[in-house]
Amino acid sequence: MNTSLAQVLPPEPQAEPAAASLPVKVEIRNVNFYYGKFQALKNISLVLRDRQVTAFIGPSGCGKSTLLRVLNRIYELYPGQVATGEVLVDGRNILAPGLDINLVRARIGMVFQKPTPFPMAIYDNVAFGIRLYRRLPKSELDDRVEDALRRAALWDEVKDKLRQSGLGLSGGQQQRLCIARAIAVEPEILLLDEPASALDPISTQRIEELIAELKSDYCIAIVTHNMQQAARSSDFTAFMYLGELVEFDETERIFTHPRVKRTEDYITGRFG
Amino acid sequence: MTVYGRRRAVNYLVMTLSLAATAFGLAFLVLVLGTLIYHGAAALRPSLFTETTPPPGSAGGLGNAIFGSVAMTAIATLVGTPTGILAGTFLAEYAHSSRFGEVVRFVNDILLSAPSIIIGLFVYAAMVVHMGHFSGWAGAMALAIIMIPVVVRTTEDMLRLVPNSLREAAAALGAPKWRVVVTVTYRAAVQGMLTGVLLAVARISGETAPLLFTALNNQFWSADLNAPMANLPVVIFQFALSPYADWQTLAWGGALLIAVAILFLNIGARLLAAWSSFDR
Amino acid sequence: MATEAELATAPRAVRGERPRGAAGDALFRALTFAFALLVLVILGGVIASLVEGAWPALRHFGLGFVVAAAWNPVTETFGALAPIYGTLVTAAIAMLVGIPVAFGIALFITELCPVWLKRPLATTIELLAAIPSIIYGIWGLFVLAPFLQERVEPALIDSLGSLPVVGALFAGPPLGIGVLTAGFILAIMVLPFISSIMRDVFETVPPVLRESAFGLGATTTEVVWQVVLPYTRIGVAGGILLGLGRALGETMAVTFVIGNSHRIHASLLQPGTTISAALANEFTEAVGDLYLSSLIALGLILFLITFVVLALAKLMLIRLQQQAGG
Repeated sequence: MNTSLAQVLPPEPQAEPAAASLPVKVEIRNVNFYYGKFQALKNISLVLRDRQVTAFIGPSGCGKSTLLRVLNRIYELYPGQVATGEVLVDGRNILAPGLDINLVRARIGMVFQKPTPFPMAIYDNVAFGIRLYRRLPKSELDDRVEDALRRAALWDEVKDKLRQSGLGLSGGQQQRLCIARAIAVEPEILLLDEPASALDPISTQRIEELIAELKSDYCIAIVTHNMQQAARSSDFTAFMYLGELVEFDETERIFTHPRVKRTEDYITGRFG
Repeated sequence: MTVYGRRRAVNYLVMTLSLAATAFGLAFLVLVLGTLIYHGAAALRPSLFTETTPPPGSAGGLGNAIFGSVAMTAIATLVGTPTGILAGTFLAEYAHSSRFGEVVRFVNDILLSAPSIIIGLFVYAAMVVHMGHFSGWAGAMALAIIMIPVVVRTTEDMLRLVPNSLREAAAALGAPKWRVVVTVTYRAAVQGMLTGVLLAVARISGETAPLLFTALNNQFWSADLNAPMANLPVVIFQFALSPYADWQTLAWGGALLIAVAILFLNIGARLLAAWSSFDR
Repeated sequence: MATEAELATAPRAVRGERPRGAAGDALFRALTFAFALLVLVILGGVIASLVEGAWPALRHFGLGFVVAAAWNPVTETFGALAPIYGTLVTAAIAMLVGIPVAFGIALFITELCPVWLKRPLATTIELLAAIPSIIYGIWGLFVLAPFLQERVEPALIDSLGSLPVVGALFAGPPLGIGVLTAGFILAIMVLPFISSIMRDVFETVPPVLRESAFGLGATTTEVVWQVVLPYTRIGVAGGILLGLGRALGETMAVTFVIGNSHRIHASLLQPGTTISAALANEFTEAVGDLYLSSLIALGLILFLITFVVLALAKLMLIRLQQQAGG
């Protein structure tokens, strides 16, 4: 349909198993969401596959961040926000009442648009989540912190200043710190809400490289308004518009042969 | 005069008056502090701290009054700070727009500006009457009640300043709400909260009225909180209104001490606030 | 509580553990709620104890207590008129003097003052508010009162004292202490509050509004009078009411300089008393239940007056916030 976009995609087809046969990690079924009286999500159903990156794209206000926030029930911090439907993680509905919400959240990591380091030492930032659940001997905790920082590609830059405040790092470093903090508790799913949009291009690139590495361990869902980023980094893409899921398919298919006209219009920049 | 000329003249007049008003305010500040230092300096000597309040006509100091004030202020702070912080936490974290929260905020602001002598009356009726005597405890409680609304207000304001994204990040890791508040939110707001506490302590340091019928006063050295307790403000009140020159000198000295203490607390609070903005 | 099945599907890092302190949420909420409730309890306690203490006097004298002028501990006749009168008059003087000065200061700091001077000047003026009442009291007694007695009051008596109606306000021997002195000191004490609220409120005016007025060629006075003040009038009113609340309740500064007389004089130069000054002076020496109860009744009246004023101020400031969409 559009040859210029094909140039953005990797030149060779990936030598991977057919994506559709990969195990499903998260199944979203008929999810609706309301901010008070306003319905922000309308009957969303799709799946997130394990060890794959699923990107959510769409114009501002389409509900992509809202959907992400349903997945770890973070919306429950605010009264008047309600979600209906089911979100099945490994077959169990996490929206069901009676679950321990903190345990649910510990399985699902989230990184926000704006870096949010806690006002404490870098070490304590990363150890925060671990300390919530376990009392580890110092050496073991040190190992876990180092491991998380290495996997977040931040270790070399901070290994000599672990006791300094996380607030003293640059924007890109802070965001990688937040990623390290999230993966330190070894979640199974990572939710990334426009993780690079507040960063400069070089930091953005590093984050994208990081996501490519993390893919092998986690099921990743990423919200982005940067279509090129979605095309580069993801295996599956969901296009949303005004609270509805317009199209969901393998990334390559969405960007080269979108089935819905609105998708094509968005990707080619006719709106949004 | 032209219309424009008249407008200019009016403007000039108003601006001059506003300058005069500012000079007026500053002049009184200088006058009050100046005379305080001038008269109070005469009383500044080591014996001010080491000797107790004398009978009229003899030399002495304010040692027992200083001790009493420090003791009651310390107790009031120990009682008032956690109370105010916890109440303020409730308002900021659990009662954003609830009806109950609105009522508490309203009542808190009334208590904040209520005449302190009324608080003294309340503690008199609630404690002194029941205990049968005046006491340092009653004085400390009166000061605590004056302190609490200030701490509630500043705690709530400071906690509200902490961005929600920080709370969300902690919750997203699986932290239960109380841990989010205690380990992250408090940490982020701690400097502001401390500043509020310091300012509250400065406020109660000079309060006289609530002590008039709770702690009363004590001529002698006493560390017994269960009895009337000497304190600077009431001593100043008594000595200043007396006809004795040496008592009056001591009164000025005491006033100077209070002013210095309040000045230090205020400076400390501002330094703390400034230091916190360097940390970012 | 996490079930076995949940723990089995718990994060890899925490399998087999319970989250630490999960039960703490209910406890923490209850704890903070209890202390928030305590604030209400304190107010309730204040009202209850005042009413209970005042009841004997109110029952004995009836509501006439409020307008009775006699105050005689010997014959046990008490009336609140003189203290109420003094409270209202001193507060009125404080407002008459304090509001214009506070406005002038706020105007200066927001419009005229060079930028580098704004913060230090504002902080300095706020120091006036940090000075406790008792220091104003002894300063007033030893410095201001003699000054007024020797210089100002004779001049006032000579000039204004001979005018037809106004003259009655400035009659009598110059004593230095009195209602006017007390009102004046109150003015100095409340003007920093009013000024800082005015300043805060002035700064909420959107710059575009001020700029468009200036752009039309208006003078600073006109911009403030016709744009800034109307825009901020609710906040300014709220600030003034807050200042009034303070003035009504001030104790020590007034006690030192008002002269403590339960007689009502037309002249401002004569001594008088306020509710708080009466309480400060007489409470610890009051003998007899009726005397004590009458004093507490005074306290109740003061509380009611300040409650109304403060509630009004709060309501105005709430409306201001709603108006600003905040």
